[in-house]
Amino acid sequence: MKIIETENLTKKYKRYKKQEGLTGSIKGLFHREYEEKIAVDAFNMEVNKGEFIGLIGPNGAGKTTLVKMLTGIIAPTSGKIQVMGFYPNKLEKAFKQQYAVVMGQKSQLFFELTAEDTLRLFKEIYRIPEDEYKRNKDFFVDLFQVQELMNVQVRTLSLGERMKMELIVALLHNPKILFLDEPTIGLDAVAGKQIRTFLKDVNESRGTTILLTSHYMEDIKVLCKRSIVVNHGRKIYDGDTDLLFERYQKSKKMTIYFAHSVEPDVPEYCRVLEKANDKLVLEIPKQNAEKVLESYIGHYPIRDIGIEEEEIGSVVERIYKGV
Amino acid sequence: MKKYLEISKAYMKAQLIWRSDTFVDVILAVAKILFAWILWSILFEGKEQIAGFGFQAMFSYYIVSSYLFQLEKSAEISQQMTGMLRNGTFSKYMVIPVQTQGYFVAMEAGKIAFSAGIGLFTTVLWFYLFRIPFVLTANLKILSCGIIMVVLGLLFMAELNYFLGILTLKFEEISTFLMIKDNFSAFVTGAVIPLALLPEWIIEGMRFLPFYYVTYLPSMLFIGKCEEEAITGLLVLSVWCLIFLVLNQVTYEHYRIKYDGAGI
Repeated sequence: MKIIETENLTKKYKRYKKQEGLTGSIKGLFHREYEEKIAVDAFNMEVNKGEFIGLIGPNGAGKTTLVKMLTGIIAPTSGKIQVMGFYPNKLEKAFKQQYAVVMGQKSQLFFELTAEDTLRLFKEIYRIPEDEYKRNKDFFVDLFQVQELMNVQVRTLSLGERMKMELIVALLHNPKILFLDEPTIGLDAVAGKQIRTFLKDVNESRGTTILLTSHYMEDIKVLCKRSIVVNHGRKIYDGDTDLLFERYQKSKKMTIYFAHSVEPDVPEYCRVLEKANDKLVLEIPKQNAEKVLESYIGHYPIRDIGIEEEEIGSVVERIYKGV
Repeated sequence: MKKYLEISKAYMKAQLIWRSDTFVDVILAVAKILFAWILWSILFEGKEQIAGFGFQAMFSYYIVSSYLFQLEKSAEISQQMTGMLRNGTFSKYMVIPVQTQGYFVAMEAGKIAFSAGIGLFTTVLWFYLFRIPFVLTANLKILSCGIIMVVLGLLFMAELNYFLGILTLKFEEISTFLMIKDNFSAFVTGAVIPLALLPEWIIEGMRFLPFYYVTYLPSMLFIGKCEEEAITGLLVLSVWCLIFLVLNQVTYEHYRIKYDGAGI
């Protein structure tokens, strides 16, 4: 069952092109030139109920504009769009009742109050019956293990704890669709993993359709079976996430901290990104990562090693070039 | 309706968090009464009346009007809206099932309820403890009219400032509109030049504008003056509230659809 559908969805912005300097500013008082920017270009997308989709793309690719159109915040310039049978920009109450948005910078929490206070407010805003409210609250609080934080002032919570509360507030009314924008940004590894486990559980146990925007490859890899890659407002990939990484993610970034200053050998197929007395950062072809790791562990006194996925921008660039 | 009450309650609770602000509010309320007492005692020395007011009536008028003036903080609605639209956080109100106008009015009501409660409690306690004579109309109908007028006046000011906030969707920069509103409001309430200096037809015309009824007339009604204007005042304010209720809804719907701002 299709829950989101867009056809040739386009969003164009008009922006003022100011000439430089004071003369340009004065000229701008009398005559202004505008340029058109296509943020989303003839975008076709279909999302089925219960899917967990990753929306990937570099900054300015058009992901946020797309999410804004899907949530009704802005109107499309042309094309067709339907979300749960509604035209989003009409912002009908029945439509808003059925989805939730979590954006890092747009907190719904009251920082002066406790999370419990915000939950009470949202119970009324979404008209959630008392028994359903208690059931949902207990379920999510238990899932996140945040019982002892419910009556603590929100401003005193850590970033990770705050994001957990944000998610509980968003999911309290059982939304059919959850739009998530960078939910793990700035979080440490433990908190990031907890959030991912939580989202996976919500998607599987409640059948909530989730559209996730993230720059962290880890989020997309672990959570999303399907990924949509956007660049310059256009869809350049739509399909299986594993296949996407298999085909287009060619390298890994390895950071090695040595116990003392060494002069390590670097295989010719590796690219040195950073080199210091006791630190070496390499870009390694994916298929050679294990071999390189073994060779360093066996030959050098190592204090710590970190391996990261290739950053999203390179993957997108490769898809775009068809390499 | 219950959701808007809950919004008001949330903002009221948020105000109560700051203990030092609460205590300063109490101290200021006391200081204001003390200051007014000293000031008017000096001015009334050797005089029975000033501008038709006896000492007690003048003192009561001053306390009531400054109390009402202090309650009217709705300018923060337009400032908050324009700030949020420009820094990209306004959309969080668009995606929840509430009317944004209702949300901002409820928010303001929650904040006002807090200040009103603190101010009223302190004032009454102070007057009672020191047996300060206070002139208050004994006519219950007029008293009710005054209370309703205060509520309508505050509602109108919240609606007006919400309207100015919405204009950010069209103009992005609204400080000029805010300045015009402040100057106009000051002019029609007699803060720029005494209204008595203006031709009679202008003063009469101003009676059809809402500002006269926001703090001035209710203050007069509470001390038992201008009673014949009570019903007219209520009618005029109600009409203005209705006009702005509809105007805000239409303007918001019109501009939000056209708004492309990267911010929201």
